[in-house]
Amino acid sequence: MITKTVFSIITNGRTYQYIDNGEPMRGGMKDVYFSPDRSYVVAFYRDVQDHNSRERLIKIATQYYDSFFKREGGEYYKDLYSWPIDVVEQNRKLGIVVPTYNRNFFFQKGYAANDLIRGKEKEGKWFASPKFRNKQFPLRLDDTELGNWLSYFQICVNISRGVKRLHAAGLAHSDLSYKNVLVDPVTKTAAIIDIDGLVVPGLFPPDVIGTADFIAPEVLATKHLDIKDPNRKLPSRLTDLHALAVMIYMYLLYRHPLKGGKIHDLDTEKDDLLAMGEKALFIEHPTDTSNRPKQNQLNPKELPWTDVTKIPYTVTGPYLKALFEKAFIEGLHQPMQRPIANEWEEALLKTTDLIQPCSNPGCQQKWYVFDNSTRPRCPFCGTPHQGTLPVLDLYYQFKEGVWRPEDHRLMVYNNQYLFGWHVNRNLIRNEKLTPEQKVPVGYFTFHQGNWVLVNQKLDSLKDVTEDKEIPPGEMVALTDGKKLLLSRGEGGRIVVVTIANK
Amino acid sequence: MRRLPVYLVLDTSGSMVGEPIEAVKNGVQLMISSLRQNPQAIETAFISIITFDSMARQLVPLTELAAFQMTEIKASGTTALGDALKVLSRCIDTEVAKTTPEQKGDWKPMVFIMTDGIPTDNWEAGLAEYRQRKTALTVACAAGAKADTASLKKITDTVVQLDTTDAATISRFFTWVSASISATSTKIESSGKEVTGWEELPPPPAELNIVV
Repeated sequence: MITKTVFSIITNGRTYQYIDNGEPMRGGMKDVYFSPDRSYVVAFYRDVQDHNSRERLIKIATQYYDSFFKREGGEYYKDLYSWPIDVVEQNRKLGIVVPTYNRNFFFQKGYAANDLIRGKEKEGKWFASPKFRNKQFPLRLDDTELGNWLSYFQICVNISRGVKRLHAAGLAHSDLSYKNVLVDPVTKTAAIIDIDGLVVPGLFPPDVIGTADFIAPEVLATKHLDIKDPNRKLPSRLTDLHALAVMIYMYLLYRHPLKGGKIHDLDTEKDDLLAMGEKALFIEHPTDTSNRPKQNQLNPKELPWTDVTKIPYTVTGPYLKALFEKAFIEGLHQPMQRPIANEWEEALLKTTDLIQPCSNPGCQQKWYVFDNSTRPRCPFCGTPHQGTLPVLDLYYQFKEGVWRPEDHRLMVYNNQYLFGWHVNRNLIRNEKLTPEQKVPVGYFTFHQGNWVLVNQKLDSLKDVTEDKEIPPGEMVALTDGKKLLLSRGEGGRIVVVTIANK
Repeated sequence: MRRLPVYLVLDTSGSMVGEPIEAVKNGVQLMISSLRQNPQAIETAFISIITFDSMARQLVPLTELAAFQMTEIKASGTTALGDALKVLSRCIDTEVAKTTPEQKGDWKPMVFIMTDGIPTDNWEAGLAEYRQRKTALTVACAAGAKADTASLKKITDTVVQLDTTDAATISRFFTWVSASISATSTKIESSGKEVTGWEELPPPPAELNIVV
């Protein structure tokens, strides 16, 4: 066990230390060593890096680091990325210094049956594969590690925000995959790691084509061409958007959107290349059903998730359904059609407003998206919704006296909150919200046989149907057809109540 | 889901009695427990054990990692390497799924053969049969000074040699086998490609000598 000291190639005289026990953690391209206090790691590239790559790393650790973290709102992103803070060199080997991941990204328990993976990194694969949540699988994860369905919405929101911010800066990650995105369903967070492969279009050529499950079809279909061939497609912002869509699909449905039953070639490798590249086809394509998983070939340990007839992608609700179609039908071979990260973030957040708790205490997922039917039931365990279900449709003022639907609804359940971003369309639910803006302005509860909205902080809530002001501290009953003006302010919304499951 | 079949073909002849056979058993256990920490390996790798002494038999059929259970091995008898290659060929025929117009097949298997002696049967006949099977990679390990590297070289280009058959050396071999399986299952997941040559596996530990 030797403590070694290395020098920054960016800041003269700055040093870092690491413990060399002769057996580093070996990543795909780097050997990783912990600092003595384990607050950071030093990761050395095994291969000598060229001038380009050296320049790219320096830029990432300086210019881009500053623009991401040293400005207003920068703190928020520190938890979202594991970003290199310096570049070092030793014996001609280049290394990067990266803060250690937050503790929540290491398993507290791991497997239900033993401690084999306790303390290991929570790489995405553990949570994207249906086996590890199957009660009959010997190596299933402990229930305390899995979170519930709602946890994965928050995780996907975080990933979308991380990708959105990179793209806003003109960067592409180029290798979004299980290994490069850590997820923690317990704290409902995600962190994008391996930032050192970032690509700036036109400036630095990408050095990897990505990870198979996440490589965009056009990249695979043209990978036989020379890197300088104009028809060759390399990782870019648009291929990140494919990877992001795959990732969201996998974290919500625990199966791959393109891995179905269609055989393209009798040679295994060729078949794989076609299935994920040139001939890629959504397994749930509504009209071309040739890639549907074959019922007799489903692995019982992967059920019900791999059975698309039991849990179709439409269980993710109308907003995500539309985006999955954009990503895997229109945009699969038309990269410009793919939804951008911001659209995913918005759709995920809007979907959480449609979500209902499942009344079955044994339900694994605990939450489901209201399916717009008059007799809603949990698609995962089949439990029907009990009691009435108020649905609030949001309207905005298009012009004086004319209100138009927002395509946004809020499903009510007991102790559900109303927030500022529901009240006013000028307040957008994103990472820029202040702590005050995240405080609820009202809540919903089932009170003496009626659904009511209790006003906590709205100063101009009005029951339009009854023509009555509802001051803070008072409540208003939610009845079928009732209209409520949430705010008189600019951008204030009206909600219209429908009572479902009567 | 395509599987990555892995065959371990282990010599259990009389010369393995004592420390070597105990080290092999321990090595298999270590390998399984290490692979069970890798979600990609759990998803794709399926393991089978074939042992051979005066004759060969499949001790553990191709089994997913999560369900794998090691059974007792005893060392005795001679070194029927040829029979081992025949049994291996038959197992590949019956267990490794080929891609058909109806069903996705498995990846090509990885084969690790370990022996500490000189084959005592007509091993060339076994080899002729084995040659007709398609594998991604065959690694032969000559354990200890008495192992016959010349015949192993005819089976595969990839021959490694262990200087001794003590527990520490054998355990290092299994650590490397496990890293190779891990690397291959991850590679299949991460590039959709099978490992096809020696160069792509992790470097062997210092105690393994590569015979070239």
